[in-house]
Amino acid sequence: MSKRLLDFRDRTAIAGVGYTPFTKDSGVSTLTLACRAVLAAVEDAGLSVDDVDGLATHRVGDSAAPTLVGPALGLTDLAWHLDQFGGGSVSHAVVGQAALAVAAGMAETVVCYRAINARSEFRMGGTGRGVPVSPEVQYQAPYGYVAPPQQYAMYARAHMSKYGTKAEHFGQLAVTQRANAAKNPRALMRTPITLDDYLASRWIAEPFRLLDCCLETDGACAVVVTTAERARSLRRPPVLVSAAAWGGGTSHLSGDPSADPTVTAAAALAPRLYAQAGLGPGDIDVAELYDCFTYSVIVQLEDYGFCGKGEGGPYVASGATAPDGPLPVNTHGGFLSEGYVHGMNHIAEAVSQLRGDAGDRQVVGAEVALSTAQPGYILPATSALILRRP
Amino acid sequence: MAAYRPAFDRDSRPWWERVGRREFAVQECDGCGAARFPARAFCPACRTEAWHWREVEPEGVVESWIVNHQPFMPGLAEPYVVVMVRLAAVPGCFVYGNWRGDRPPEPGERVRVAYRRIDEELTLVDWEPAEDDGNLDTHPARRTSSR
Repeated sequence: MSKRLLDFRDRTAIAGVGYTPFTKDSGVSTLTLACRAVLAAVEDAGLSVDDVDGLATHRVGDSAAPTLVGPALGLTDLAWHLDQFGGGSVSHAVVGQAALAVAAGMAETVVCYRAINARSEFRMGGTGRGVPVSPEVQYQAPYGYVAPPQQYAMYARAHMSKYGTKAEHFGQLAVTQRANAAKNPRALMRTPITLDDYLASRWIAEPFRLLDCCLETDGACAVVVTTAERARSLRRPPVLVSAAAWGGGTSHLSGDPSADPTVTAAAALAPRLYAQAGLGPGDIDVAELYDCFTYSVIVQLEDYGFCGKGEGGPYVASGATAPDGPLPVNTHGGFLSEGYVHGMNHIAEAVSQLRGDAGDRQVVGAEVALSTAQPGYILPATSALILRRP
Repeated sequence: MAAYRPAFDRDSRPWWERVGRREFAVQECDGCGAARFPARAFCPACRTEAWHWREVEPEGVVESWIVNHQPFMPGLAEPYVVVMVRLAAVPGCFVYGNWRGDRPPEPGERVRVAYRRIDEELTLVDWEPAEDDGNLDTHPARRTSSR
């Protein structure tokens, strides 16, 4: 391992979280959503917006940049900002970068936000915005293969073929997360579902049904990153950033003969992440795992080491990820049932669980949380955070 | 017609032009001999920039497939099958295409390219079972369901 220049672990903290309501049509611009979420997060932390000296986001040409949000909130002298290109795979890298900037003293109070009108304006890979610009698109789009549900369905089928993962495994996950959402006032979908409801939902791209897919959502979410020392004096209990990792993994177009579509970039990232925190999968009390689709959770349960490779489906079916199981997962209902804010709402939920203010969905005694990004199927990169109570 | 006309780039244009002539080729590195697809300037194994085209058998095995039911793109009739094929000649590389079998694909099944000529400028790569020796262009793009 290379020489560490900076002692990073537990040096920074998340001091506040903020949301706009999650809807199907916000009726406002992404700039407005971003400003509302930033102000809400600052308020939650017990800070003034004038304390903010850094802003960070990620986007794919679909949202307001920090250079727009800063001036809109009267922040004309930011010490640090980040406008990261990318979708869900970099969602947690944004907060990691902010923590790094704070730990290094580049900024003291950074608000990370994600604001999207993902239903009413810019549907991912779908109607209204054309085809994303990437060289890979030319080999896929002519065959009508262009949208994330199709891509994830393709990888899910590979997993089903290789390991015997079943529709019922995906369904159990959807049912459990909906039950979690029923206890979450923010969630878009709160009516409980059964496995039969799941199996009866219409096909989107076989093997995926409607209830395998996340909710296209309009909304924004933000978190305040500051030093651990300063966070201790603020309104809310601080949540420490114990580890933050991001980076590339295997490209399934690289020509590597061992390329395996059932393994994600998370498998390469997880050891680095755990080592940074000095923890392992057995230390995680609650996990908010990027669930753009049901299968995304199953493959991450394997690649983050909670079960063996290929055992993600049976692991979920055993009830392990339910609130009373050994690893409660997506306690807010996740993208499948709370809403899809591209990763930031997973981080905010982890913070809520560790502060102990998650209400009816609180995991008793939660001290360490894992929160993760899109595991690297669409872009060969991922990111993740380990957060903990002091 | 094609639902989406691929935008050839400076790396890929020769590959598409070969497909238009019903030639299936991958790049082979002049430094280490590693084959690769899709077209790129550098060998990811040894970072050599020099390379040449190598024609390979347009064959592979089915790694996965989907049956698409949602109208994500205008101009296509759902349902349709998209198949992901692991190239026999370059086992780490995957090529996509529409399925032209009379039945759903099977995992690990051997398949072969079925060229689909759109017009003078564009030919696409579809896939069909390898044992099928019929006229490759007489099968319509197959609509089927694995339900």
